[in-house]
Amino acid sequence: MDQPFTQSATDINKIGEVIEARTDQLLAQCYRLHEAPPLGSLIKTREGSIEIYGIVAGASTHALDSGRRIIARGEHEETDEAVFAANPQLARLLVTDFTAIVAGHKSDGTVRHYLPPRPARIHAFVHTCLADEARQFAASLDFIDLIAAARRDFAVDEVVAACLRRLAAVQTDPQDFLVRAGKHLTVLMSEEFQRLNSILKRLK
Amino acid sequence: MPLDFSQTIAQIDSMASRLALTRESRRHKLETAMATMTDHSRNLPALRDRIATAMASRTSTWLAAGLLEGLDLHIAPPSVPNEFTVIAADGSHIDVDRHYAAHCFLINIGLVRLSYGRHPEASLSSSPSLYFNDEDVVLMSPSGGEPPEPIQGPLLGAKRSVDECRALARAATELSGDATTVCLVDGSLILWGLTGAAYPRFVTEALIKGDLIKHFSQIQRLSARHPIGLASYISFPRNTEVVNALRLAICPFDNIDCDRNCPPKARSKPCDTVGGLLDRDIFRHLLKPGERSAFFASLSSIVINLYDPHRICFFYLNTGDEIARIEVPLWTASDKNVLSSTHAIILDQCRRGNGYPVALSEAHEQAVVSSRDREEFWRLTEESLAGKNIFLETSLKSQSKRTRWL
Repeated sequence: MDQPFTQSATDINKIGEVIEARTDQLLAQCYRLHEAPPLGSLIKTREGSIEIYGIVAGASTHALDSGRRIIARGEHEETDEAVFAANPQLARLLVTDFTAIVAGHKSDGTVRHYLPPRPARIHAFVHTCLADEARQFAASLDFIDLIAAARRDFAVDEVVAACLRRLAAVQTDPQDFLVRAGKHLTVLMSEEFQRLNSILKRLK
Repeated sequence: MPLDFSQTIAQIDSMASRLALTRESRRHKLETAMATMTDHSRNLPALRDRIATAMASRTSTWLAAGLLEGLDLHIAPPSVPNEFTVIAADGSHIDVDRHYAAHCFLINIGLVRLSYGRHPEASLSSSPSLYFNDEDVVLMSPSGGEPPEPIQGPLLGAKRSVDECRALARAATELSGDATTVCLVDGSLILWGLTGAAYPRFVTEALIKGDLIKHFSQIQRLSARHPIGLASYISFPRNTEVVNALRLAICPFDNIDCDRNCPPKARSKPCDTVGGLLDRDIFRHLLKPGERSAFFASLSSIVINLYDPHRICFFYLNTGDEIARIEVPLWTASDKNVLSSTHAIILDQCRRGNGYPVALSEAHEQAVVSSRDREEFWRLTEESLAGKNIFLETSLKSQSKRTRWL
């Protein structure tokens, strides 16, 4: 049985909560405005004893109340930070959220690069993953299949490339990781040459 | 059926022609008003006494402003404190629905605290309260000699205003630090809905003397510790107390006695030379953007009789977009620093809020109960009661409104 995530308020890796959940995708709201995890980064959440891994596929900042239109306020301010200092309510009325493609899960201590049996729960905490965990997650490259197969309502190829770049950066031999990832993509996209080429170009 | 515009348009045209005619006459009235203001500012004590006497003897038809600071002053905007806090409360309610058998109402109070300066900070919240106990939905006469007064309609509006002030007082008490603070509500500090013979005296006493004054005093006590003011903001005010003071200035009779000197049947009165003007017409002319007027006292009987020790004063403020009326208790008005900060901070709030104090507008956003929320509220009520096997009757009229059949 895995240990649950630390759920104390001081957990620096705790960045938000799931607010919409599907088996293959989740939407999480960040606790801090403008502080979404970077595109392609690895995050995790939990459903019961199962840890669910996701790759950040896009983020947005918008009005908490969708009926309220945001207006420009900084014409006479020198910095955009000054706009927030002059209008402290904004930090409470705007919200940043991000979408993550579910890229696998961990049950019984084993990372599995296929979809979890159930989606994450609403309000489940979302954590960023540290380097050790990212290396463990990327020991096998099968997670690429799940991301590449995600629905095309966001820039999936950009997400694949960003994810591989970020995972390469935590490897002891980043170049070797990228070569292996490139080979994996070549097999996966053997009939989509243009798409393959476009991703490979973004790995540099 | 849609409105028949072919009939309405002709009526709109005649209304526009009528307004064009009255514009010229208003210009004359405004000139008279401004000249009267200038003349009487030179001998303010005489006019002050004349107004005070007329109001005390109740011989004037017109409710005139008490002159405390001056008449035609226009005071430039002071600088905003480096560190300050604004607390604003606003409410909204779901009234008792007489077509519905569950006798209850809901008051939702939005509360906002905005701090500016080195550590800008905001807190926004709303707290709904459902009133349903027998003793909560009526006001009882203390002697038991009069029938209980159900809290609904305008009385619920007044109760909501009291609850807004309660929320302000509570939030002000919880403040830490000693930054200059303005506590702000929308509308009047005077519960005009309770005036006249509309309600028995025990109702006004319970709401004003029993509750409202207690909350005002709670905020006033804090003012001993750090600079804190209480104010209400009235957008597009329709008051005429300053114009009425000018009527009394113009009145040629030594002893003001409207009924005797100018019987109601008289075709025109000398003071009609400024009649029809609103205070905001005068102050639009007098105040440059950012300036405030002198502060005046409300001499209305509700304030005199029930608001003690909080005499309500008011001043007008040119926010740059409109002439707003700001009401403050005398303890806020008579503390020069607090009055000056209140002036500066409310003006600053209007600038930050595109013409209306941003803290009030956010408090309103927190409080607002949409028509969808109302429907959901009644649906949940029905569902919850049905869960306990309580089935309530609704009127057929109410059902017909919900289902617009063809």
